[in-house]
Amino acid sequence: MQKILLDAREMEHPEPLQISLTHLRTMKNNEYLYMINLRKPIPLLEIVKEKEFFYIAHQDSKEIWHILITKNATYNLEELLDV
Amino acid sequence: MFSQGGLSLEQAPPISVVMKFFITASIFGLLLGLYLLANSSGLLTYSTYAYKVTITHFLALGVMASFMLGALFQMLPVIAGVVIKMPTKKSMVVHVLLMVGVFLQLFAFNTSISLLYLFSAIILGSALLHATTVMIKELIKVQDHSSSSKGMLLSLSSFTIAILFGIYLLLTLGGYIKGDSFAQVKEAHYSFALFGWVALLIVSVSFQVVEMFYVTPKYPIMSKYLVTTIAMLLLLKLIALFISLPTVGIDLFLALLFIVYGVITLNRLYKRKRPTSDATVWFWRLGMGLLIISMTITALGTISSIDEGLKMLSYLAFIGFALSIVFAMNYKIVPFLTWFHLSNQGYMEAPMMHDVIHPKKAKIHFYIHVAMLLAWSLYILFNPPMISILASLLVVLSFGWLLYHLIFAVKKYNYTQKHTEKMEW
Repeated sequence: MQKILLDAREMEHPEPLQISLTHLRTMKNNEYLYMINLRKPIPLLEIVKEKEFFYIAHQDSKEIWHILITKNATYNLEELLDV
Repeated sequence: MFSQGGLSLEQAPPISVVMKFFITASIFGLLLGLYLLANSSGLLTYSTYAYKVTITHFLALGVMASFMLGALFQMLPVIAGVVIKMPTKKSMVVHVLLMVGVFLQLFAFNTSISLLYLFSAIILGSALLHATTVMIKELIKVQDHSSSSKGMLLSLSSFTIAILFGIYLLLTLGGYIKGDSFAQVKEAHYSFALFGWVALLIVSVSFQVVEMFYVTPKYPIMSKYLVTTIAMLLLLKLIALFISLPTVGIDLFLALLFIVYGVITLNRLYKRKRPTSDATVWFWRLGMGLLIISMTITALGTISSIDEGLKMLSYLAFIGFALSIVFAMNYKIVPFLTWFHLSNQGYMEAPMMHDVIHPKKAKIHFYIHVAMLLAWSLYILFNPPMISILASLLVVLSFGWLLYHLIFAVKKYNYTQKHTEKMEW
């Protein structure tokens, strides 16, 4: 399992979306994207759903969003959460 | 807290919905510049009243309402999480009736033909009331309102009140009703339109976009009461107007609230986490500065008498504020939507945002906009006739510049769809 970390907390809109889409297009079966963001990235999640990726969106106690996305249905994304 | 929420892409409006409103707004802005130019050159001989109401409504409806309704069709799903069903069809009805209605109203103001007032009241009223009811109907259903979605709801409600009062005024001017409360309705009409619709909508949207676009610290918690307080004050003003009580205190309080909001927003922008030079930030800074200037003069006007020139400067600053924010939003929204829609359709060669409208082009527009505001300020203060011609030319140039880049974005979008290959992923 290879983690692609994207800390988007200090990125201006729409840089996080552009970078994450680039990663998703080339994502291998043994990879997952771990995105940390100040907001829930709704447009990205729309695309993720449409392209039938698997994802979770979790907001921690400091109101930071952790978004985990993969192609691989066997990954338990909740176990990969780092909060 | 795990969420699988979000909107499906089918529910997002097509890019054409937004672009047609933005392009129409720019064309109206261009026509406004030509109207001002014709007037400055002495080619038009309309009365001062007709001239003033024509300019006001060219700006308020042709330019601002077109920009803001177009942006709302796009932003309601994203910011408020509401879905407008059949956005293409509904926006087309609003768009066509709005264009026809604005022209009818402008001809009515300049010819005083009774029937034109009636037709403009019906057509313009239908366009705008259709737009506000479609949006309000969906916003009311939101269960957990954010400051932004609540502000949008209150702003659209204010716009509805302003439209109803506008219809009353048009029918009075056309001689269809007696219009006994003309003066009170007129003041309520522009209070709800300017403070309630334009300013409140900008305040509501800024709570989301300033933090998101520019990675600023969050607005203070007390800001969430701002939109409700402004709406309550407007309602109080309405009641006071109709029972003939003085409204000076309410106007002063409103002006002070907008000054506080402007200062807080400037402070947020100053504390950006990753400060980069971007024309849209400068548009926001200028807009907030102008809002503070406009509201400071308004506040002064409530506690002492101020001369006509200062009042005109206050109006100009308010127009400058609203246009600055609209331009900032255009230069953010259009490149993003062009890239986003194409990218999402699978066009790997979708132009990046900088290729759609280069930031340098937005910066040039910023300088044109500043020059235009300075020229009108000079005209108001010193009244030299040549300056009004220059200022009018700068209005033409400002909207012409934006129009050119909007058309360029549409062409780029169409070109990518026709000449590049899609990739499934």
